[in-house]
Amino acid sequence: MADEVFLYALSTCPWCRKAKQFFTDNQIPFDFVDVDQLQGAAQDAAAEKARELSGGRRYPVVVINGEVVAGYNPDRYLELLRSRW
Amino acid sequence: MAMTDVTRRDALRYLFEKVVDPLGYKFTPDEELADFLLEQEVKLEQDHEAPYCPCQGRSGVRAEDMQVVCPCIPFHREHFDKMKRCWCGLFVHKDVTDPDSLPQFPPDEA
Repeated sequence: MADEVFLYALSTCPWCRKAKQFFTDNQIPFDFVDVDQLQGAAQDAAAEKARELSGGRRYPVVVINGEVVAGYNPDRYLELLRSRW
Repeated sequence: MAMTDVTRRDALRYLFEKVVDPLGYKFTPDEELADFLLEQEVKLEQDHEAPYCPCQGRSGVRAEDMQVVCPCIPFHREHFDKMKRCWCGLFVHKDVTDPDSLPQFPPDEA
C-alpha cells in the first residue's frame, strides 16, 4: 500500500523546506500546503487543522499514514513510512 | 534584498544579540541559516508589523502572537533548553558548536 504523506508548512520556515526535500530525495510522493500562502478562510482553516493535529503552532506538521509528527524528524518519518519497512 | 531590508536585517541581528546573550543563547554559527531566518523576519515584520518566528504560526490573538515574536526564548524556555536551540534554529545554546547535530524536537518527544 502506498504511503500517504501530507505536510502543513510555512514558506518562511527552513525546516519545512528540509522536510519537503527529505520526501523528494527519498522519492516519496507527498502533498503539502504552505499555510502562510493561503488567503482568508482557507488560511484560517489550514492553520486550525495544523494546530489541532500537532497541539501547537510549530511547523512543519507532517502527517504520515495518519500519524502526526511535529517538527523535522527524518528518523521518525522513516519509521512511519510503510514503503520503508 | 533591497538595501533597506539588509539594513533592517543587520539591525535585528544587533538588537537580538543583546536580548539572547543574558539568556545563555547566541546566534547559530550557521551564517547562511541565520541570514535566511533574519530575512524572513524582516518580511514578516513588513507584512505583519512584528518579526515573528518564521517557523511558528500566528493565531490572530494578540497575547498568543506576542509569544512568537523573535526572540521568543523567554516564552518557550523549558522546551528550547531541552533542544539547546530555539524552534527555528536562529539561536542555540552558547555551548553549541555544531547546530546540525541538534534535532528540531526535544529528546523526550522523539
